[in-house]
Amino acid sequence: MSAPVCLRGWAPPERGPPRRSMAAPRAPESIYNLLPRLEERPVKPPRYVSTFRPSVKHEIEKSKAQWKTMGPAKVEVPSPKNFLQKHSKEPKLPERKKEQDSRKMPALSVPRKTDHPLMGIQSKKNFINANAVAAIMGLAKKPQPIYVDRRQGDKHLLETSGLVPKYVKKKDYGIIPKYVTQRNKEIKRAQKEHEAYVLESLRKRAMKRLSDEERSSLLQGLKKNWEEVHHEFQGLSVYIDTIPKKMHKEKLESQMKQLEHDIDVIEKHEVIYIANE
Amino acid sequence: MAAPAGGAGGELELQAAIGFNGHILSGLICHPDKEHVLYPLGCTVVIQDMANGKQTFLHGHTNNVSCVVVSKSGMLVASGQVTFMGFKADIILWDFKKEELLARLSLHKGRIEGLAFSPNDLYLVSLGGQDDGSVVVWSIPKREAVCGSPASARSAGNATVLAFSRCRDEMFVTAGNGTIRVWELDLKNRKIRPTECQTGQLKRVITCVKMADDDSYFYVGTSSGDVLKLNTNNKLMSDYGPQKEKFSMGVTALLLLKTGDLIVGTGGGIVALCKGSNYKVMKKIQVQGTVTSLTHRGQGHQFFAGTNESQIYRINYPEFKEELIATCHNEAIHDIVFPLGTSDLFATCSKNDIRVWHTPENRELLRIVIPNMTCRAIEFMSDGRSIISAWNDGKIRAFMPESGRLMYVIDHAHSLGVTAIAATSDCRRIISGGGEGQVRVWEIGERTRKLEEVLKEHISAVSCIKIKKNDRECVTASLDGTCIIWDIVRFTRNQMILANTLFQCVCYHPEEYQIITSGTDRRIGYWEVFDGSAIRELEGSASGSINGMDITSDGTYFVTGGDDHLVKMWDYNEGEVTHVGVGHSGSITRLKICPGNKYIVSVSADGAILRWKYPHFH
Repeated sequence: MSAPVCLRGWAPPERGPPRRSMAAPRAPESIYNLLPRLEERPVKPPRYVSTFRPSVKHEIEKSKAQWKTMGPAKVEVPSPKNFLQKHSKEPKLPERKKEQDSRKMPALSVPRKTDHPLMGIQSKKNFINANAVAAIMGLAKKPQPIYVDRRQGDKHLLETSGLVPKYVKKKDYGIIPKYVTQRNKEIKRAQKEHEAYVLESLRKRAMKRLSDEERSSLLQGLKKNWEEVHHEFQGLSVYIDTIPKKMHKEKLESQMKQLEHDIDVIEKHEVIYIANE
Repeated sequence: MAAPAGGAGGELELQAAIGFNGHILSGLICHPDKEHVLYPLGCTVVIQDMANGKQTFLHGHTNNVSCVVVSKSGMLVASGQVTFMGFKADIILWDFKKEELLARLSLHKGRIEGLAFSPNDLYLVSLGGQDDGSVVVWSIPKREAVCGSPASARSAGNATVLAFSRCRDEMFVTAGNGTIRVWELDLKNRKIRPTECQTGQLKRVITCVKMADDDSYFYVGTSSGDVLKLNTNNKLMSDYGPQKEKFSMGVTALLLLKTGDLIVGTGGGIVALCKGSNYKVMKKIQVQGTVTSLTHRGQGHQFFAGTNESQIYRINYPEFKEELIATCHNEAIHDIVFPLGTSDLFATCSKNDIRVWHTPENRELLRIVIPNMTCRAIEFMSDGRSIISAWNDGKIRAFMPESGRLMYVIDHAHSLGVTAIAATSDCRRIISGGGEGQVRVWEIGERTRKLEEVLKEHISAVSCIKIKKNDRECVTASLDGTCIIWDIVRFTRNQMILANTLFQCVCYHPEEYQIITSGTDRRIGYWEVFDGSAIRELEGSASGSINGMDITSDGTYFVTGGDDHLVKMWDYNEGEVTHVGVGHSGSITRLKICPGNKYIVSVSADGAILRWKYPHFH
């Protein structure tokens, strides 16, 4: 069998006799020793204090010279609590106002998802009476036009059946739609513009015809030039001995020949076109 | 003799109760005034002053208390009880200061599983037991139910624990087998609405719940041995732990500290200080039994732990050292005995242990533990040198009274366990009775134990043995319906008393010409010793058998106690009840009047020891 386990639950410290030592022969145990005994602790006498103590103290104080001091003057040292704190020299901003209220969300017009509807709210309206009054006072309903197609009397709505000549009674029946006329107009205008453009370009490319006045003036001018050249030619010396004279005479001759040719060309053709290069 | 007039006149004054029902989760509560602790004991709630150990009792429940709770302000106390199937279980609201009953709230059936006060004492929430399964909110000012609802979803298990928010009067939490719910009270519509908390893949059985002081989180302890932290706002689990080494036998009690750390009490008896962030165990201590309650005194420098082995420990937070401050039996107590001539000590025996107590201080002085054995009876030798005990393994064991060491064992003393024991006043003989009905006389020498005689007359277990002062005669009561008066010099039967009952107890009148007996027929019989004739019969109890009886040293009064949970004091000559003591919650098994006529001590099957003041007649 297992040996008993003994526990001393919160045994009092002031137990009477000292606990048995294992070796020494001991007195037999008794239940009455378990009774907690009040142990008389030896009362300590108060500590000795000399009766001369104050007088000795006084004497020492008296014998000491008050002015004989040593070391630096005894002044109050700065308190370690008044140390320089971080940011303490910075200018202080005013307290931040509470902005919680101003930034609050506006009240919702609809209830929240988490709200619970208030139950048990009832309306006082008498629906029976109200409905009856509405039925009496209201306008009668017009019957809907119907048609019956079989002997059995199957009714169908006339409106959707196609028997009502809705199409020909339409307001814009037989009228060319606006968009068509609009488009035709557009087409015509575009064609006109195109023709004008073509004509313009042709005209730009055609040769210029010399008018009669221009022709006559041109002839007069040429003849006059020829007469001047001829006059000069007539005025030439008879003797042509130097090269410059010869050159001059040749030049005049060629000029006169050119002018004669030009006059001849212009007199020969009635109509003259000027080709544009 | 100026006895109080009339039948059940006075009431016995309950002086002290040694007992603590440690099986109730969070049963041990430290009051917010830091001076009192509350704990349930049977059908009472005990308020104990920690400074002077003074106890007061809240009587009112009709059955065992199943939960106790104190409001945040400390003004109110509520307690719930167990009752029989189909009956309504009461919740009682008490005023702590005046120690009086304020209201009796009954709606739940069967059992109250949990209670919680709202932080401003506006509401009380109660959780019904398994058969009830509902949660009810009570208005405290109006003393009536506000609303109720089933506590858990039909697919989930039962809710077993409850905690109220620490700041708001409209939110509380229930948890249990696979269910954690946060409830919101909608007072306008008289409704409570639950929100199931999501724990993801984890499937847990919740055993305890603790709300953080600022309401942002609550912690739950699980039977798997981990702690889950849940957010009250989004109802999601934020983390859990310890991940690797979980606490063995589950987390059974939780305590939150101001630092954010946790103190965890486990089924294996470990009280551990866990870091709040990763649930790592920083310090731990081992206590006896499953930790069922953790409660802190004040701000948490000191806290108390109660275990299901009915031990209360005080733990100092800085050192993290436990100190046993109170203990009691957690099984049925079978016997109580005073040593000769002193009232200040007594011994009780129960399953596994024998304990010696100091009466004025209600303190345990000595515990002798024999594991897994039940001690049926004990006796002090009259010289006080040994404690002899009768055990159900058929042995008689004697122990040294101071050290508790085993002195000697008589093996195979009885074949069906030893059930009764008595010693003669010269300390030379032990008379023992066994379960098989034999009465044996042993001679005790310095080193020898000799069987002197076997007296075979009883045919069933011997329940009680009493020896005459001159050591020449003894009387034994047996469950076979006989009481036999033996001559223990010649070892013959002198007289036999027959009755249609199982005799539980017998007492010699101090003048020793009469004996009184009682048993399961609830009758107290007076018998003549000389010829065994019946003198008188009294109706001892209306309902239950009488299990214990004791008579004063002058023989004018005797006390009885039994299955009716009442201690009754009788006038021997008049045969009338003079005082009744109400307070036990289990069947009273034995009771004794102390030698100095100062106390009556009764013990019961629920493990409680109650000390009553002996009424003064002069």
